[in-house]
Amino acid sequence: MIRIRDLHRIYRVGVEEIHALRGVSIDIGRNEMVAIMGASGSGKSTLMNTLGCLDRPTSGTYELDGKEVSKMSSTELAHVRNEMIGFVFQSFELLSRQSALANVELPLVYSRKSLSPKARIAMAEEALGRVGLSDRMDHTPSQLSGGQTQRVAIARALLNSPRILLADEPTGNLDSQTTEDVLRLFRSLHAEGQTIIIVTHENDVASYCQRVIRLRDGQVIADCPAHEDEGVRLAGGAR
Amino acid sequence: MNRWYFWVSAVRLAFGQLMANKMRSLLTTLGVVVGVASVTAVIAVLSGLKTKVLAEFETFGASRVFIFPDRPDGVPNNRFGWSDIRLKPHEVEELRDKWPSVKAITPVTDLEATIESETERLDGVSVTGIWPDWHACESRKVIEGRPFNRIDEESVRQVCLVNESAVQELSLVGNPVGQTILINGRRYLIVGIVETIQSRMFGMGGPTAEVFVPFSVADKLQQSRRYFIRVSAMLKSPELAEEAKSEARYLLRRMRGLTAEDPDTFRVEAIDQYIDQFKSLASGITAVAGGVVGISLLVGGIGIRNIMLVSVSERTREIGLRKAVGATPGAIMAQFLLEAVALSFVGGFVGIGIGRLMALGVASIPDAGLEQVYVPFWAVLMSFGFCAVVGIVFGFFPAMKASRLDPIEALRHE
Repeated sequence: MIRIRDLHRIYRVGVEEIHALRGVSIDIGRNEMVAIMGASGSGKSTLMNTLGCLDRPTSGTYELDGKEVSKMSSTELAHVRNEMIGFVFQSFELLSRQSALANVELPLVYSRKSLSPKARIAMAEEALGRVGLSDRMDHTPSQLSGGQTQRVAIARALLNSPRILLADEPTGNLDSQTTEDVLRLFRSLHAEGQTIIIVTHENDVASYCQRVIRLRDGQVIADCPAHEDEGVRLAGGAR
Repeated sequence: MNRWYFWVSAVRLAFGQLMANKMRSLLTTLGVVVGVASVTAVIAVLSGLKTKVLAEFETFGASRVFIFPDRPDGVPNNRFGWSDIRLKPHEVEELRDKWPSVKAITPVTDLEATIESETERLDGVSVTGIWPDWHACESRKVIEGRPFNRIDEESVRQVCLVNESAVQELSLVGNPVGQTILINGRRYLIVGIVETIQSRMFGMGGPTAEVFVPFSVADKLQQSRRYFIRVSAMLKSPELAEEAKSEARYLLRRMRGLTAEDPDTFRVEAIDQYIDQFKSLASGITAVAGGVVGISLLVGGIGIRNIMLVSVSERTREIGLRKAVGATPGAIMAQFLLEAVALSFVGGFVGIGIGRLMALGVASIPDAGLEQVYVPFWAVLMSFGFCAVVGIVFGFFPAMKASRLDPIEALRHE
């Protein structure tokens, strides 16, 4: 599914060069649930942006579902994001004036597929159903709780049946109860066959995953099943 | 791209954005409003004016030709004296006999005289000498009595026509036809009354007293022997204007013995020339108005550009999100261009409304003769066209900026 080889990413800030990724190679298979962990500055955000096709590597290759995406133009990348990737952000990023249904429908605005209005609504309703919000479709984000808001965002990410669901600190803005709800939701989606990558710095969150990839200074320092990961074990072991 | 749904959403979003910032949007479009309102009002007034003037020319008759004495340009002043240039009665007679394209012709000469009735004395009244053919040349109805005839002219009879204003000003009682008045102390019989017409253009000035006498009588009344004569003629049909002009030139040049090198010492004009003159005047005014509008649209455009830049920076995160879920740079660009055009259109809409109100205001000024002021459909289309252009031109830079935002940076924007 994902095949990354010798990925480098160098930012230029003025005359200074920041080497955010220094030769990262990872394979992630279909229906894996992976946590990417690391301290700030470890390169995990850069890795996530690259995996999400929001950023292009300076060198190295990235094959997504058999497609080489590292050299694509920004328009092609936009199509890849639209069709193959679902994002979940720490701060939800819902459009505040729009209903939950309209928010979930948003990716279809930029879809290359032609769909009837009925089909669009059916898709959005189905996605909301999968996250258990069938009864909140007409609510705006301000009328929803934090956990519900994040579930709307997850429904939006699921809408186009993405190859990867990419979540960046999805529980960073949630209390422990709703964190649990959201993680359970991820786990049931995973059980349905969804490939999920979660970027987090919380061992608790990582413990919901099968596999943990740790980064430091732009390099992979550990890549093992969650139950073997020391940090995760200390946090209470893989559940 | 799923074009249809994208554009529907884009339009909905653009207007949603306008509605969410009503006051800001209105203030932003003020420049466009002023520009469009002024162009609409100017075009409305000019259109009304054109209709009215052309209608006046129509009633004048499109088939009229005039000849004036005229000192040619580009030759020394002493080359042609007044006696060379002046139209003379015998020239007019020859034209009458030999000019094929006209069916009626009259010399016209004006003088000022003192007119007296039993009770009134008027100084400086306009007295005009004409041939009987004048009635065919001018569309002035004789509403009482009779027009002039050849006997009046040939026998130099002491008869006159007066207009209705003259009847009033002279306080003539009863039927004026058959009464007599004094012109410069000599007694003339009123044979008919012609209708008073408004002075030619735009209803300026009230009606004035006019007296008409046979040309042969005016010839005697003129103080100077070198008095001014112009010629008014009626074409056999309106299409003959050009032919009639060349015929008149040929005849007059031959009569005056002008050689091929000599310029014309007279000027022949047909009504269509006046129409052309008016049209070029109107387009001149339109051009000036266009310049003014251009400036206010420029100002309006800059306003739109600024507010769009504000909008782009306010909505940076939203742009980031849209990009993350698959909006291409082109889609973001289209979205923001559309918003700029929508802003501009709102300005255009309000502007056309205000422009129409202004036009209605002008139309309701009493006696200005501008009742026919209207906003032509092409002006509305043109205004919206301009608005679209302003929106696209001035929205381009902000839209470009939005489309080039890096989605990662945009999502991190506070």
